[in-house]
Amino acid sequence: MDTLTRDRNPLTFQGIDPALKSRISIRNLEFFYGATRALKGIDLELPQNQVTAFIGPSGCGKSTLLRVLNRMYDLYPGQRATGEVLLDGENILAKGTDLNRLRAKVGMVFQKPTPFPMTIHENIAFGLRLMGVAKTEMDGRVEAALRGAALWDEVKDKLGASGQSLSGGQQQRLCIARTIAVEPEVILLDEPASALDPISTGKIEETIHQLKERFTIAIVTHNMQQASRVSDRTAFMYLGDLIETGETAQIFTRPRHERTSDYITGRFG
Amino acid sequence: MAIRMTRRKAVNAVMMGLSTAAAGLGLLVLALILFHLVVKGAGALNLAVFTQDTPAPNAVGGLRNAIVGSLIMSAMAVLIGTPIGILAGTYMAEYGRFSRLSTVIRFVNDILLSAPSIIVGLFVYQVLVATLGHFSALAGAVALAILVIPTVVRTTEDMLRLVPDQLREAGLAMGAPRWIVIRQIAYKAARAGMVTGVLLAIARISGETAPLLFTALSNNFFSLNLSAPMASLPITIFQFALSPYDNWQALAWAGALLITVAVLALSILARLVTSQKDKS
Repeated sequence: MDTLTRDRNPLTFQGIDPALKSRISIRNLEFFYGATRALKGIDLELPQNQVTAFIGPSGCGKSTLLRVLNRMYDLYPGQRATGEVLLDGENILAKGTDLNRLRAKVGMVFQKPTPFPMTIHENIAFGLRLMGVAKTEMDGRVEAALRGAALWDEVKDKLGASGQSLSGGQQQRLCIARTIAVEPEVILLDEPASALDPISTGKIEETIHQLKERFTIAIVTHNMQQASRVSDRTAFMYLGDLIETGETAQIFTRPRHERTSDYITGRFG
Repeated sequence: MAIRMTRRKAVNAVMMGLSTAAAGLGLLVLALILFHLVVKGAGALNLAVFTQDTPAPNAVGGLRNAIVGSLIMSAMAVLIGTPIGILAGTYMAEYGRFSRLSTVIRFVNDILLSAPSIIVGLFVYQVLVATLGHFSALAGAVALAILVIPTVVRTTEDMLRLVPDQLREAGLAMGAPRWIVIRQIAYKAARAGMVTGVLLAIARISGETAPLLFTALSNNFFSLNLSAPMASLPITIFQFALSPYDNWQALAWAGALLITVAVLALSILARLVTSQKDKS
């Protein structure tokens, strides 16, 4: 891997276990909101079938980084990214990237549940129809997605009800179901449980655990217990810098950087 | 301390009294108008109003040609104005959200929204009536459509802006192209408000007289010909109310009542549509 041979700051870069295949490679990523530099030279690998958690105080750039990975920032003028983000060997930041195809490959679940204003069934079918899934397959795919998000048993008798009639936790699992229905390669979770009660949070975390067998997952969280529970790898960010990244167990027990240890022990942030 | 409290309470009582009185006065005027209309109009309402055309002075007749004319021209105005208004509003709230063009359109649209309708009538007179050489129902419909557009543009933009960006992002995050997100998600979320806007636009044009005066003119006979002058309720009311003939004046009251009831029904319908959205 050529990425390993490049000159790196030893604190910010630790090569991932060579047995793990990297799904997304981020190289020297910079991000700007107008003139404000929000990400400063990020280098990071997201290994396949692993959960990578992003932690750090508010405004450190975790969500910004996530929004680069599916180019959601493209919607807003004045926001731009430089550097490289490689997915399947292609730089997704390059001009001419098919954003619809990219976003079908890199799904995203938001902080606030965002069920579409349609029925539960249609919420899932929305993405499947975009992919051109045949009508005859639709019901099966919808059921599979809802089962994947551990929501099927709760909604199987009311698939025709509005997605917005569900509870907050159910809505969030509906959004996860909707995302996994289209079989993306990567799933981005932006504080998916921060608006939920502990029981719903537990269910979401359980779901994430099962999903990593099939998907590569990146999760932003403010909750460090959550990061330590659900993730394999953790990246600590501070003021737009990636301070440290490594195995979650190592980050939480033997952080290499003082700032990381201050943050996870609650001394700031 | 005690004095200050008493003073505050007194000021509060005075302010509350004044605002309640103002609200009461407004309602009273409205109630008087409605009462007057019902008393005068209901007496003149009968089957002939709907089945016969406008009569000669002191003859028996109805308002059929005016009612049908108003319905035709309003329907055409909505058919012309709604798509334009919705598309323009969609541009401003979705595609052109950050463009200067949207700011300019919004400014011009606000002017159009408050422009006196007689100016719209004169404009269409110049463009359609003077050039074609005759008054026509089509010109009337175009004039009304120009009144429909700004209302629909405004409500469409406002309602689409109320749709949270998160919902759009969620749709785009599924890999959906922009137009599908707009059509299947944003429109659905804003539907009640947008329908309300169209209903309010209909309510607005159904009582407009000035724009029709220079365009559709009027017609004493039943006509479905779009390139000929066409009767309408507001203009018939205008003519008949000014006349010295009792039967014409009675028909004017009946017409006024019809328009008011129609507008009231539309407003109630708009309310129902909006409240339905709140429930879901």
